[in-house]
Amino acid sequence: MMKDKPFFDTDIAWCPGCGNLPILKTFDKAIYAAGVDRKKLVLVSGIGQAAKLPHYTQANVFNGLHGRALPAATGIKLANHDLEVVITSGDGDMYGEGGNHLIHNIRRNIGVKAFVHNNQVYGLTKGQASPTSDPGFTTKLQVHGVASLPFNPLAIAIVEQCSFVARSFAGDREHLQAMMVAALEHKGGFALLDILQPCVTYNKVNTYQWYKARVTPIDEDHNPYDRDKALQLALTWGERIPVGIIYKHDRPTFESQFPPLQNAPLVSRYGEL
Amino acid sequence: MDLTIRIAGAAGQGVETTGDLLVEVFADQGIHCLSTQTYMSRIRGGVNSYDVRISDREIFSGRERADMLIALNEKTLNWFSEKLTEDGIALYSGADKGADQSKVIAIDLEKVATEVGGSAIMANIVAAGAIFSIVGHDIGSLEDHIRSHFQHKGKGIVNANIACARKGAELVGEHAGRLNAPIHGDAPTGICSGNEAVGLAAATAGIKFATGYPMTPSTGVLTYLANAADKYGLVVEQAEDEIAAINMICGATYAGVPAMTTTSGGGFALMVEGISLAGMLELPIFVFLGQRPGPATGLPTRTAQQDLLFAVHAGHGEFPRAVFAPGTPQQCYDLTRHGIEIAHKHQSPVILISDQFLADVRKNCPGLDDTYRPVDRHIVENPPEDYLRYAVTESGLSPRALPGSSAFVVLDSDEHDEDGHITDHIPTRVKMQDKRMRKYAGLLEDLIRPQWYGPEDAGHVLVTWGSAYGPCREAVDYLVHTDESIAMLHFAQLWPLDGAAIADMIGDRHVTVVECNQTGQLGRLLRQVGALADFALMGKYDGLPFTADEIIRRIQ
Repeated sequence: MMKDKPFFDTDIAWCPGCGNLPILKTFDKAIYAAGVDRKKLVLVSGIGQAAKLPHYTQANVFNGLHGRALPAATGIKLANHDLEVVITSGDGDMYGEGGNHLIHNIRRNIGVKAFVHNNQVYGLTKGQASPTSDPGFTTKLQVHGVASLPFNPLAIAIVEQCSFVARSFAGDREHLQAMMVAALEHKGGFALLDILQPCVTYNKVNTYQWYKARVTPIDEDHNPYDRDKALQLALTWGERIPVGIIYKHDRPTFESQFPPLQNAPLVSRYGEL
Repeated sequence: MDLTIRIAGAAGQGVETTGDLLVEVFADQGIHCLSTQTYMSRIRGGVNSYDVRISDREIFSGRERADMLIALNEKTLNWFSEKLTEDGIALYSGADKGADQSKVIAIDLEKVATEVGGSAIMANIVAAGAIFSIVGHDIGSLEDHIRSHFQHKGKGIVNANIACARKGAELVGEHAGRLNAPIHGDAPTGICSGNEAVGLAAATAGIKFATGYPMTPSTGVLTYLANAADKYGLVVEQAEDEIAAINMICGATYAGVPAMTTTSGGGFALMVEGISLAGMLELPIFVFLGQRPGPATGLPTRTAQQDLLFAVHAGHGEFPRAVFAPGTPQQCYDLTRHGIEIAHKHQSPVILISDQFLADVRKNCPGLDDTYRPVDRHIVENPPEDYLRYAVTESGLSPRALPGSSAFVVLDSDEHDEDGHITDHIPTRVKMQDKRMRKYAGLLEDLIRPQWYGPEDAGHVLVTWGSAYGPCREAVDYLVHTDESIAMLHFAQLWPLDGAAIADMIGDRHVTVVECNQTGQLGRLLRQVGALADFALMGKYDGLPFTADEIIRRIQ
């Protein structure tokens, strides 16, 4: 087992103070804490600032196309379900360009963990609105402010009976690590962890201070199997933003339902039938 | 002896069932047969047709005119009667409307079926009985087929079907034996369609994961694989869209599982970014592209060869790929296996182009090998700790390891260094792009050269590709007995090409490019690689396949 700080000596492309930095540091601790064998770990990402995370740690990496982390991860998991497949990508990648795949992989309940760095803005392309930007958020492109309502990933996931739905905040590393570990230890299929992440350069509204004033851990007695309560929590966004394990649903994973995958991963039974 | 039987009716009237039955019974007797289908994009109604051509020699093309028309309704009788040969005969399912009885036999097939104790769905068996009688076949072979196919449904069903067949044979009266047809032959008794051949070859070559979004005419391959999945231990997934379909197989091939996706032009358009991804990540994906006429949704159930240049050029940026286009079901089998091998050997995307005509064509095939013979994936089993997925080599091929092994395997769609990590260092970019493109040398070494057919000293050559093989070949067979000095050059591999070698083969001959499109895409591609300068074009873009008859007519 490797140490909990496998940082590559590499030139990180993120701004000083970027919300991705605590996510990266916490991720490395969570991998260690959850006892994940890094040689069996595949990090999948699309395109965006968050999607660069796999390059800054040690793992197998599939850094694919914008929006397509989920279908690639699905193919990897079906080919070798012994691998721990984790997506680390952003809100534009997962909720915008890749939104359709999110819906359908929740339906599949593929055993992939999706850590979505949600900073409500596009960083890589320098400051345009994201699918989760609040209405009225002005940018160089949305000059009169965002006119659309924000995408609610948690509510969508709960409606589609996602097997694990949680939210955390990059500014609370202890909570974030607990959520990451819980997602990594979840064996019941697709896990969505939405991580609220300040962007210090392009989002002057949803700052560390803004989130800190609102982020509220869910009551300890919340039953994540209570779908109605979970949906209420997912729809709560404003003065109070609930974080924690919001919803769980038990059903068979996608990969458990194919006869050829019953005894061994597809990849290991290639040589003979 | 050469005979074409055309069954025509509305969708849902059993056109395909009747056609399939005829093909199977004729093939059982070692008779060469070939069937082609045309159908409309609808579940009920419209005009569908199914041609069964039988011969005493191997056949590769449909015919324009039929010797016998089975018209399951009045509309198809009117529609197809003028496409009968001079001595041809029509069997019309319905009441006698006073047509010339030497040309049209009226039998209400459904009524007859119920009268002899069967049900309306046995109308096709009445038709088959009538057909067998008209072509002078003993209906014993039809009865044997009925016994073996309906045995599991019980004696009552078998007897009712046999009664239908006998009644049909009886009702043609004096027309019995009117048409000449081969009785027995030594053709292979197995029958295979283009799409079945692709599916079987993929399953036996070790495809373990197949994805697709249903789209005519490619769906048959995915359906075949779904039904073969438990036998060959593979997973088939209907993706939410074609973008997911191709990215899924990119993921699966990264993890070490040979994978393919199936689509048609519109879906392929959505996959194009994924083709480029496979080029950049050097993934051995296999894409089946079943063409139909565009632009856009076009004619969904018709045929075309309009996506050649699209496939050869699909994907932003520059990267190696191979493109194949079989001409027969046998070639569908051979090139599918070859394509999957090439993808793995050269770590590059491979596209196999078919079309509706070839997808649906059914023909005698010598027993296609159905044993599992997985292709070599060219994988490094125990990579060292300092393994580099994209190590620069002379051949351009870097040792390929899998995630989950003893080393990290890192892939990035961004330009990357040998370790797979993102870079925008300019010299590294050039080094890596050169490395990828060097794989073309290996692809060219494994090139399948175009096939010359006909006299070597012919002054005129029909240059063609893919499914136009059969019609062109038969046209050459006919024309060599006329004043024409003609041969065929058929391309089953469309990319990469060896322009100089092709130019040598063609020499100073007159070239007519024969392809199912309007702009001569193969001709333009050959010009691009310096294989030829000028060419005449025999194009076709009405949504129907070429026949040898049409090619001969247009040449003469």
